[in-house]
Amino acid sequence: MSFQIDCPNCGTRGVWEFHYGGAAGKSRPPLSADAAEWTDYIYNKENLRGVQTEWWTHRSACKLWFLVERNTATNEVLSSRRYSVPPRQEEPAG
Amino acid sequence: MGSENGVADGGHGHAAPCRFTFDGETFEARPGQSIAGALHAGGQYVLSRSFKYHRPRGLFCVSGRCPNCLCTVNGEPNVRICTRAAEPGQDVRSQNAWPSLDVDALNVFDKLHRMMPVGFYYKRMYKPRKLWPLYEKVIRNIAGLGKVDFDHGGEGTYDKLNLFVDVAVVGGGVAGLQSALAAAEEQLDVLLVDDQPALGGHLRHDPDLLPADFSELLRRVVAHPRIQIVMSATAFGLYEGNYLGIQQGKRLIRARAHQVILATGGWERPLVFENNDLPGVLLASGAQRLLHLDGCRFEGRAVVVTNNAQGYRIAAQLERAGTKVAAIVELNELAAGDPGKIPVHAGKTILTARGGRHVRAAVVGNVNGGGKSDTIRCRWIIQALGFTPATSLLYQSGSKLRHDAERDHPAVTQFAKGVHACGAVLGTHDVVAAGAEGKHVGLTAALAVRGEADTALRARRDAAAAELARLVETKSQPGVVGHYVSGSTAKKKFVCLCEDVTEKDIYDAIDEGYANVETLKRYSTISMGPCQGKMCQAAAIGLCAARNGKSIEETGTTTSRPPEQPLPLGVLAGRGLHFSLVRRTAVHHWHEQQGAKFLDAGTWKRPESYGDPASEYEAVRHRVGLIDVSTLGKIELRGRDVGKFLEFIYPNRFEKLKPGRVRYGVICDDAGIVLDDGIIARLEPERFFLTTTTGNADAIDSWFRSWLVVKPEWDVRMTNMSTCYAGMNIAGPRSRDVLSKICDANISAHMLPYGGVAEFDVAGVRAVVLRIGFVGELGFEIHVPTQFGQHVWDALLAAGKEFDIEPFGVEAQRRLRLEKKHFLPGVDTDALSNPIEADVPWIVKLDKPDFIGKWSLTRAANRPARNRLVGFRLDGTTVPDEASLVISDGRLGGRVTSARYSPVTGGVIGLAWVPAEQSANGDRIEIQMNGRRMTAVVQHAPFYDPEEARLNG
Repeated sequence: MSFQIDCPNCGTRGVWEFHYGGAAGKSRPPLSADAAEWTDYIYNKENLRGVQTEWWTHRSACKLWFLVERNTATNEVLSSRRYSVPPRQEEPAG
Repeated sequence: MGSENGVADGGHGHAAPCRFTFDGETFEARPGQSIAGALHAGGQYVLSRSFKYHRPRGLFCVSGRCPNCLCTVNGEPNVRICTRAAEPGQDVRSQNAWPSLDVDALNVFDKLHRMMPVGFYYKRMYKPRKLWPLYEKVIRNIAGLGKVDFDHGGEGTYDKLNLFVDVAVVGGGVAGLQSALAAAEEQLDVLLVDDQPALGGHLRHDPDLLPADFSELLRRVVAHPRIQIVMSATAFGLYEGNYLGIQQGKRLIRARAHQVILATGGWERPLVFENNDLPGVLLASGAQRLLHLDGCRFEGRAVVVTNNAQGYRIAAQLERAGTKVAAIVELNELAAGDPGKIPVHAGKTILTARGGRHVRAAVVGNVNGGGKSDTIRCRWIIQALGFTPATSLLYQSGSKLRHDAERDHPAVTQFAKGVHACGAVLGTHDVVAAGAEGKHVGLTAALAVRGEADTALRARRDAAAAELARLVETKSQPGVVGHYVSGSTAKKKFVCLCEDVTEKDIYDAIDEGYANVETLKRYSTISMGPCQGKMCQAAAIGLCAARNGKSIEETGTTTSRPPEQPLPLGVLAGRGLHFSLVRRTAVHHWHEQQGAKFLDAGTWKRPESYGDPASEYEAVRHRVGLIDVSTLGKIELRGRDVGKFLEFIYPNRFEKLKPGRVRYGVICDDAGIVLDDGIIARLEPERFFLTTTTGNADAIDSWFRSWLVVKPEWDVRMTNMSTCYAGMNIAGPRSRDVLSKICDANISAHMLPYGGVAEFDVAGVRAVVLRIGFVGELGFEIHVPTQFGQHVWDALLAAGKEFDIEPFGVEAQRRLRLEKKHFLPGVDTDALSNPIEADVPWIVKLDKPDFIGKWSLTRAANRPARNRLVGFRLDGTTVPDEASLVISDGRLGGRVTSARYSPVTGGVIGLAWVPAEQSANGDRIEIQMNGRRMTAVVQHAPFYDPEEARLNG
């Protein structure tokens, strides 16, 4: 692995300065969620071939956790960005 | 050619004639000559013995690719002496020959080839099984090339160089030179890499092709301040993100380039015929190198076999150098060049080279077989059959290629991002066209760096494109037809010189079912030798296609992987490849002076002991000991929501922890698995200080941050203090007596009880002092700024002198903690251990609101445990190894994770995972070690001071 990642704080650096934190997207279920949802969250990793959004941390420098869009087949990095809290979803009316 | 910077001169290093020895015999080298050139001039034509049959081999490619001239030079094995300059006093030795190059006993294999068919070691040597060790020993002795000289080989320093450039150009031929210059003139930083000792590519040794303005081009490239030139350097790998691995002698250059231009040219394509490996058979470019770079001659008669104009040029050049060219054997029906007075045998090929240790004659016959053959007396057979493009790096880059059947040449259908190519690698052989292509590609790369918005640059690029298009219409392609394997049915037609693989071997392998190029390669080992397919891959694919009745396109190609050329392992293994960190504590040099034995703890060095762990243990239990705990991870957290955050991170409670108090905590993940443990101290209402284990310091820092980033609404600010504080733990019944002598606080049991924390001066230095007791005695953990670590350490030792204080190391600490039954995460727990089964269920507060691991731990608490971590006692003094098996009902039931001799119990104690039904206090478990079974007794209470009287003292 020798691709580069663009850290939102520090700029473009070699991948060995970073640490992979898994695919992003699955959010942690509430305690009230059922066993299927929890086990899916904890144990089922999609191991996607293709473009996925994933967590990385710049562990050798600023230690920021941020999101990277990467093609897992080619290691092409398409984008990187800071995490921002997703807007709260409105409850469906009625 | 000029000689600026020593990169553009034709030839090698030294300025005066010199002498060296080859297998003990003295040879003389002219200035600038390679070792191989000097040997050729001295009439030494046999340079090595082949890998399998030990046949004599001589110069063939003369360009650092084929295996024939691999020699040991001054103890360095496998040096290609055709690209290594002769130097005074060199000791050059041939390889793979015993007792000598002239009389090689193993040449007997050449006669026994019927017993050694393709894959013979798979077929002959697996039965009977018990003989395999013998076979292996014999094979290992015979196989392999070169011997490592453990006394002198590999001497010197292997170093690394990191480069960051806008454009990296691989290949210093005319296409590479033009592209480098074009990019540099756009004010970009350019790296130009070439594997030969001088720039110019094949123009160096084919003077008839030299354009008039070439020396001017060379001068401008060499003089350009933005072009960094690296010569005699092999770009062996092109990795993701345009990261080039380059070997230059004992140096590894790692170059990150915005754009990469591959102007790698091609490898001359050999003809396969009977005895095509005889000394005296050379590639045309090899002969040209000897003629024009090494000033050598070819004595006697020569036959040139060709299918393009290069053959006619080399024939004329040989004649000018005094060689009698007896014939040009032309594979085409029509001559591809002007033969002058030399007779041309059109539509013919070489069927056989005759001779014992050198060519004596060439047998010439019809390309399509049949008819009668002629024998032409000659000493040299020179082959000029065009070039196989050097596509390895193109493939490695991820670019897509397909075989263009019409041109019999690979064509790029899609370049990888930031990768370009020009020149002969794309089939552009014409010098002027290759130069124009280079310029166009150089400007295209520059535009990719600058951005399309640079309209002036874009206009220059478009002009170069138009010029290239104009030239492409008129440029000539060398006439190329097939027939790379002559029609004879002889056995000794070598496709692969490295591994002695013949045409017949390939057919046999295909007939045995290894019909796919990838399996054919692995079974026959073709293209797996020192040349890595440069001499043989095209022929092997051609034969594979023919035998299977498929096209080259359908047959495909094997995967190109780094390294493109074999590398000395030292280049990869040399220092500093991954910048591995070594951390030493503030007191490290003191430990060293005391003769401490160190162990690696994560990136840290920790004293295991100072020589006598038993004595260190006794000091802590009966007097006072001091241990360096600076390696612990230390994190300071501030903010309104730290309590809430810790409640979420840890399964136990922290919101109501009082300032001045300390609590033990175990960190779990959402699967309920133990990640780490440590203590958490509340220094102030909104200020916490916590420690992690040494090995997990970075991981826990990262873990905290990963949660904080998704909880931005929490007011938690975190600072990693791990290396800011030196930590030391003073423990033992006299520890309070020692500390109170040098601190400015009342540290009585009343003022600083067990589980308390306070900040005060120790030896004049502000310290965080924790009343905790990992080793089970009265103790204080003291954290001071790192720069004062040695000062405070010294002060504690001085104050402790009257109490006979002793420093103690990790080994004594492990004995002490085991007597208290404290587990170590990662030692006594693994990726399946939850705190309930790891015997600390009290730490999990399931009545809390959500915390990490709550869902899983709730389930774990509500189902019967499968196994448990328990203490055990064992009679006697035999200490079971860690990971010794716990046997339950004759089956594997668990394992020992820690065990030591315990002085207080007078026996062996330990921790083990056991089945839940055998985990009750007093249960008996069977521990197996070295085939012996020992019975141990489960004990729930700590082995030492179960009432914790000493801890609370």
